[in-house]
Amino acid sequence: MAKLIGLCLNVVILCSTVGAVFEDQVGKFDWRQQYVGKVLFSNFDAQSQSSKKVIVATENNVFASLNIRTGELFWRHVDAIGPEGKIDALLHHGQDALLVVGDGRLLRSWEINIGGLNWEIVLDSGSFQSACLIGQQDIVKHVAVLKKTAISLHYLSNGHQKWIENLPESETVDYQSVYSGGNGEVYVLGIVPHSHIAIVVYSLEDGEIIRQFSVEAPWLSNIQASCAVIGEGMLTCADSATVSLYMLDLESQTEMSQIPLQSLGLEVTPGFQPVLRSTQPNAARPPLSEFFLQVGPEQHLLLQLNDGQIVTLRDFNPALLVSFATTGEKTIAAVMSPKNTTACSLNLFSAETGRRLLDTTLIFPLDPNGGKPEELYVQAFLKKDDSVGYRVMVQTEDHTLTFIQQPGRVMWTREEALSDVVTMEMVDLPLTGTQAELEGEFGKKADGLFSMVLKRLSSQLILLQASISHLWKLFYDARKPRSQVKNEVTIENLSRDEFNLQKMMVMVTASGKLFGIDSKTGTIVWRHYLDNIPANAAFKLMVQRTTAHFPHPPQCTLLIKDKDTGLATLHVFNPIFGKKSHVTPPAMPQPILQSLMLPVMDQDYAKVLLLVDDQYKVSAFPSTKNVLQQLQEIASTIFFYLVDSSQGRLSGYRLRTDLSTELIWEVVVPTEVQKIVSVKGKRPNEHVHSQGRVMGDRSVLYKYLNPNLLAVVTESTDTHPERSFMGILLIDGVTGRIIHEAVQRKAKGPVHIVHSENWVVYEYWSTKSRRNEFSVIELYEGMELYNSTVFSSLDRPHAPQVLQQSYIFPSSISTMEATLTEKGITSRHLLIGLPSGGILSLPKMFLDPRRPEIVTEQSREENLIPYAPELLIRSEWFINYNQTVTRVRGIYTAPSGLESTCLVVAYGLDIYQTRVYPSKQFDVLKDDYDYMLISSVLLALFFATMISKRLAEVKLLNRAWR
Amino acid sequence: MASPGGQGGGALSTRGGGARRMKWALELSMGNSRSRGDRQGGQGDVVYPIGFSEKPVPDTSIQETDKNLVEKRCWDVALGPLKQIPMNLFIMYMSGNTISIFPIMMVCMMAWRPIQALMSMSATFKLLESSSQQWLQGLVYLVGNLLGSALAIYKCQSMGLLPTHSSDWLAFIGPPERMEIMGGGMVL
Repeated sequence: MAKLIGLCLNVVILCSTVGAVFEDQVGKFDWRQQYVGKVLFSNFDAQSQSSKKVIVATENNVFASLNIRTGELFWRHVDAIGPEGKIDALLHHGQDALLVVGDGRLLRSWEINIGGLNWEIVLDSGSFQSACLIGQQDIVKHVAVLKKTAISLHYLSNGHQKWIENLPESETVDYQSVYSGGNGEVYVLGIVPHSHIAIVVYSLEDGEIIRQFSVEAPWLSNIQASCAVIGEGMLTCADSATVSLYMLDLESQTEMSQIPLQSLGLEVTPGFQPVLRSTQPNAARPPLSEFFLQVGPEQHLLLQLNDGQIVTLRDFNPALLVSFATTGEKTIAAVMSPKNTTACSLNLFSAETGRRLLDTTLIFPLDPNGGKPEELYVQAFLKKDDSVGYRVMVQTEDHTLTFIQQPGRVMWTREEALSDVVTMEMVDLPLTGTQAELEGEFGKKADGLFSMVLKRLSSQLILLQASISHLWKLFYDARKPRSQVKNEVTIENLSRDEFNLQKMMVMVTASGKLFGIDSKTGTIVWRHYLDNIPANAAFKLMVQRTTAHFPHPPQCTLLIKDKDTGLATLHVFNPIFGKKSHVTPPAMPQPILQSLMLPVMDQDYAKVLLLVDDQYKVSAFPSTKNVLQQLQEIASTIFFYLVDSSQGRLSGYRLRTDLSTELIWEVVVPTEVQKIVSVKGKRPNEHVHSQGRVMGDRSVLYKYLNPNLLAVVTESTDTHPERSFMGILLIDGVTGRIIHEAVQRKAKGPVHIVHSENWVVYEYWSTKSRRNEFSVIELYEGMELYNSTVFSSLDRPHAPQVLQQSYIFPSSISTMEATLTEKGITSRHLLIGLPSGGILSLPKMFLDPRRPEIVTEQSREENLIPYAPELLIRSEWFINYNQTVTRVRGIYTAPSGLESTCLVVAYGLDIYQTRVYPSKQFDVLKDDYDYMLISSVLLALFFATMISKRLAEVKLLNRAWR
Repeated sequence: MASPGGQGGGALSTRGGGARRMKWALELSMGNSRSRGDRQGGQGDVVYPIGFSEKPVPDTSIQETDKNLVEKRCWDVALGPLKQIPMNLFIMYMSGNTISIFPIMMVCMMAWRPIQALMSMSATFKLLESSSQQWLQGLVYLVGNLLGSALAIYKCQSMGLLPTHSSDWLAFIGPPERMEIMGGGMVL
């Protein structure tokens, strides 16, 4: 029997589809883009003109090296998500980069050429404060790590600890900074806020305390924010209250001397906290005596400490950003100042004198759809004639990195905002101009027979012309070698292809930057930065009008809600060009709870969006008279539900004709015991072709296809493995009727769920067996259909049959989504993003609660696979072969014009786009289809027929004569 | 060469070719001196016995039995389809219920033959015209063919080729129309 089952399984698996691609298909219709995230720390490789690397450490716990000529990644290391992998500090010395990771948990040294790990050590516990390289006699050999209660010194070569010392009085003193001037002493600077600065000096050799003293500083609250060490151990702090600089010689232990800024002839913008910026080009030497003081949002000063006197070298006003850079013995200051509305100019100044260096102006073009510059990273190098050349990497508010070379040539830009995509939609591309013209002909109102005929003829002529020019282009391109034919994607030549396989991906990122990406090539067609996005905003993207309504432009609406205030704004734009629409979105003075897209259109074919505010009043957008009239007519059939996770409340509302609402049902899940983690309805664009399933005896088991069904997942608040549980609730969103309810004991989240057709698939962690499990619920009406023409939740007296089965899955998962096709004929697959970076295409037929334990004639007739508790991961099911998608957070599926094909976008740190064919390509000829052979055989047969016909005629004639 | 008929042509050429090899030849008939088969056929032509007539002489003495024979022959025609049924049953049994090319071909044959026969009913009636039990025979013939087609239909049914189950009409059920519009979600 087992053999038989095995055989059946083999047959089924062999017959079922394969998601993998052939080697020659790699990159043909899929692409991947790798990102690193918002840059926190960045360092350039060796300070020479020929160096090619910049190393970056980012907010997404990524440490990577970028090629400065192309902007591509040399290598990338992705650490754990969250505080565990947070990069606290990046120190760069020669070919080594030192990272402090996870709030001072680990100290790592990387070789930056190949990205290999030199060594890694685990540091003693304690929260990380600061780290710095320590040198002596021009050789840097050590690194000091300062923690809350201890300071430790490690060798750069192998990471071994040289010494570790507990800090004195660490309960009261908040040690914040460590500094060494290269004279064999390590200074640890601590502070008791609004009281005094505590300074401990350790010997580099054995960690003994050489001196320890404290200086009164009642005005100071934070060393790192307002102080810097300048010159030969001069601690300088800026105070905004008294508008003065305080200086303390760390070696002579005297009182702090106050220098009012007014005495230097300087003024500080009221309310601005002055910022000091010093530079220490070599860790074995003291910092330079020149430093920047920022006294206003756009004013920087280059100051110099000269024998205890502060001299103003230069006043930069206005200056957006300043930065020091060192090459050889020269230190220069780069200053970015606004030029006009479209560009900024960068200039180099000698740090010692404040003189402007000749021929160093560089223009940074400001993207009107981008953010303001935020950070400046300068790579300075000595040219052959000993003058200083430089390149800059500018980081803007929208997390874009732009790399510029003199005299203003943008080498590359990286849109790091795409590492954090929140939501996306795929929009059909418009038809080409000629096609659109044809369509427009039918869209317009008829004005007489004759003109219609003329119009028709002219449009046909245009079409003919277009096709001839297309053919000519094909012929022309075919003669050129393939590498020369470049298909540059621009807005002008964007058009829908034959099978609607190319679409516009509209991506919304957490930083508030919107992108339009061509799905075929991955080219960013447009970008738009929304600059007033609150930090914790919730986004909801909706397509109000598709491209099908020429000449009306397509229209997308982005609902942005500030979670703190609850207030929301709408951004209405054209998804193809990214331009803001002329339609003025309504003002929304009330906090918005949810939005609801109706299938009702206004006279301009825009779908109506309903916005529900906290008074449960509804406003419509667009709210023309026509729309309001339509709304009044259908108000009684509009229902909406709201889920308040914090109160554990699910409530259903019904729209009244005056656009107020009435509560019709409410389900309360007690928040002390369990909380609602997710609610999934069905996708509105999902089509189900078959209304039932054919049984082995050829009767039909009808599916329960309730479009209003919601799957609600709850998790227990108790996380103890013995007591934790998860619940699943299938509830009708119109009536509030609970269709099915199940509690899975000894199960834990995170729960991933897919709800489609008549089934719900969810995945959880079983704490009892310590494994990941899939469970599938399918709903059936039974052998009879109650009402085959209309579905109304209010009129379904019979409860559906519920079937459920569970399986063991060998891996945890990151995200899950189901494939979607145009008509729903193609079988469904589940796309599962794994933490390993693979995307698995699992046929839904493996997750089928009707899989029998005992094989019968009927089940074999139905092609049911015998039940096996384990779901295997077969390597050919990975749709992204070796193109790992790191930290996949979401998978988006969209139907294409071909029934067999589903477009897939996986996003996370990387973005990966491909196509899947769940039932193989049954409606397309294969790529390797031999057109030549077939046509030549056909032609040969045709000629053979002709010739033999002629021969036969001759022969007949001859015979007749005989 | 223009002589009509190959025989004359053959004789001519033989005469031309054979004259060289043989010193003399006696020709009793025109042509056919070359091959033995031809000669034999030629001999039949020539050496008919006296009184032989090529046309059969009509025999008037066996009129009665002839009538019986016609009747018998007509019954043969009428019972033909019925006689095939046991044979068909056997084929049906042997071919089984799996759907593959041979059983399908068999079923097609089985279904097509009675239909063809029913279509050419009038021709069959003409055949049976001489019989006295023409109507009975016609009825039997019809019934036999109907039985044959019924058998074919039964076979189709047992093979599952007939759309008699609800599942066969499943593809024609459209998606039901939605009466309510519903939306919403987690409070943003």
